[in-house]
Amino acid sequence: MTVEQDCVALDQFPVGMRVLAVDDDQTCLRILESLLHRCQYHVTTTNQAQKALELLRENKNKFDLVISDVDMPDMDGFKLLELVGLEMDLPVIMLSAHSDPKYVMKGVTHGACDYLLKPVRIEELKNIWQHVVRSRFDKNRGSNNGDKKDGSGNEGVANSDQNNGRANRKRKDQYNEDEDEERDDNDDPSSQKKPRVVWTVELHKKFVAAVNQLGFEKAMPKKILDLMNVEKLTRENVASHLQKFRLYLKRISGNQQAIMANSDLHFLQMSNGLDGFHHRPIPAGSGQFHGGAAAAAGMRPFPPNGILGRLNTPSGIGGVRSLSSSPSSGMFLQNPTDLGKFHHVSSLPLNHIDGGNILQGLPMPLEFDQLQTNNNKSIIPGNSMAAFPSFPSTQQSSLPNNNSHLVLQGHPQASPSAFPGHQINKRLEHWSNAVSSSSSTLPPPPAQNSNSIMSHQFDDGSSSYSIPFCDSTIPLAPAMDTNPRAFYRTTDLDSNANVQPGGVYYDSLQMRQSGNYGPTTDALLSSNAKEGFIVGQQKLQSGFMGAEAGSLDDIVNSTMKQSQGDLSEGDLGYGGFSSLRTCL
Amino acid sequence: MQRQVALIKQSLFDQGYLDEQFMELEELQDDANPNFVEEVATLYFKDSARLINNIEQALERGSFDFNRLDNYMHQFKGSSTSIGASKVKTECTMFREYCRAGNAEGCLRTFKQLKKEHATLRKKLEQYFQLARQAGPKEIARRPK
Repeated sequence: MTVEQDCVALDQFPVGMRVLAVDDDQTCLRILESLLHRCQYHVTTTNQAQKALELLRENKNKFDLVISDVDMPDMDGFKLLELVGLEMDLPVIMLSAHSDPKYVMKGVTHGACDYLLKPVRIEELKNIWQHVVRSRFDKNRGSNNGDKKDGSGNEGVANSDQNNGRANRKRKDQYNEDEDEERDDNDDPSSQKKPRVVWTVELHKKFVAAVNQLGFEKAMPKKILDLMNVEKLTRENVASHLQKFRLYLKRISGNQQAIMANSDLHFLQMSNGLDGFHHRPIPAGSGQFHGGAAAAAGMRPFPPNGILGRLNTPSGIGGVRSLSSSPSSGMFLQNPTDLGKFHHVSSLPLNHIDGGNILQGLPMPLEFDQLQTNNNKSIIPGNSMAAFPSFPSTQQSSLPNNNSHLVLQGHPQASPSAFPGHQINKRLEHWSNAVSSSSSTLPPPPAQNSNSIMSHQFDDGSSSYSIPFCDSTIPLAPAMDTNPRAFYRTTDLDSNANVQPGGVYYDSLQMRQSGNYGPTTDALLSSNAKEGFIVGQQKLQSGFMGAEAGSLDDIVNSTMKQSQGDLSEGDLGYGGFSSLRTCL
Repeated sequence: MQRQVALIKQSLFDQGYLDEQFMELEELQDDANPNFVEEVATLYFKDSARLINNIEQALERGSFDFNRLDNYMHQFKGSSTSIGASKVKTECTMFREYCRAGNAEGCLRTFKQLKKEHATLRKKLEQYFQLARQAGPKEIARRPK
């Protein structure tokens, strides 16, 4: 693309950018609306957070950016921020008269891409479009990294290439050094695709070791990179991973003691899983984390990407919190196996479209807990490897009933009513547990597996599980919502889909998924109180299906490699899954 | 007439009733939004009247829930800042200080002051807008030189 072309194409962009402004104060809202109009954005306003969510849910692609006040009577601005990040993966800017750094920090940890102080000045609003570009850019980069072919990553986002091109140029001007490296390497959009970095357990361990060595507060990506001494790892990858890690820890540290060292697995899982989906706040660009499900499928070692991503997003945070708060230390699986569980969870998503997402959210909290309680690092390798694979297979050893047991327990308790993310997490946990249990038992018939899992879980004490499972439909939705988008945009899935190696397994999974999801999810959806999620789920499902196939494939493959029987495992997972789903 | 309008506006600034934020608002007023400033001011007064009522009730109850009062005041301050109501904003800040210090007496005193400032500003702005309307729409959009 020539410069002129880019400029021309991109020149339109900030103009007409669709902003949703939310503020309970009518005066401020009116002023904000006017300021935004002056910047030539297309503005929609509402003074209720609920209404804002409805607007966003009704059409995911209706807005490019959300600006929200922090103090609102019907819903906390941070909560809205989390929800938007989780469900819609849109950039959100916080607005407040509070200049207290604590609020700003809260905004950051909940995933806001900026924090403005009232009274807002027009100069500040003139630049907010950069957040939209950045998030698309990062998504593209992430997807590109995972994608083998050029351009596939960009399919989902029409403007992304242009934006990227422009962003590249523009960012060269305005950006901090973080971007420079990246940009220097990727001068034009097509060269942005780099192989995705998968944050394996080992890699993450090195990372954490380096961070600990440097001191958490002082850890800088460059130094970490040097300490880690891993070839082909770029500073960008580390920076991105570090950011996610920090966010994760912040979330966790609220609820539990510092997990740092132990959270490796969790974190990995999370980051690995979510990449594509909601990493709005966290630039998913780094290919390090595979987009949630897709990533898991493709990437194998860590399905958790999605999960991490989830965690990182506000919902994830919420999820984590909820999980941790519940009596959960037990919940999280005291056993090392938990880790495995986690993996399973992540694998779940792969299988299930909605599951994928959910898992992503869930596994994280679990993971961390596990890590904390158990120092599961060792376990992780076995379990976490493939979201999928772990799911059916590897976990066996790791997934003792306990895990599922724990998970389940945690699940019900953990699920914060308020937060859909939580629910999702729980679900994922359930599933993962279920899956893992089933996998551990090995290829018993799927039905059995699920049953055994369920009973297992129940035996352990989480008898209430089945119900929660059934009841909670939400988990899927959020995940799903983001997934399609993630998939489309980041093309993680796409890449996975392309891979399709294990025909048999894949097909069966695929079919099952579609079969299961369709009816069950719909049922779930309808029964679900959480409308937003339901809708999302539905949407996701359809969107997902395709994506899933790809990811499943990968997952399956990876699983196969790891565990014993491929099909059986796949079946197991599936069976368990389906049985679980039917519950739902 | 125009001069009169300009003078009134200038005095409002000079006396510290309004600050630069108000000027920003005027900047936003244009042909597409001919009465923008007035609209915003109306909204503000409507909103703030409600807030003042709430605060008043809370204070009358005598329970002095400082947190709640602080919250109200925070909102009040937010909108006052957005419109550029400088003196009102100052009173808000003081009120919040008293709240944080748990000084009920101080709160009451400041609140009285705040109401006064608020009422004064309202009157003055109403006057200003009325005059501006009479002077002709174009005048409103102009900044005092």
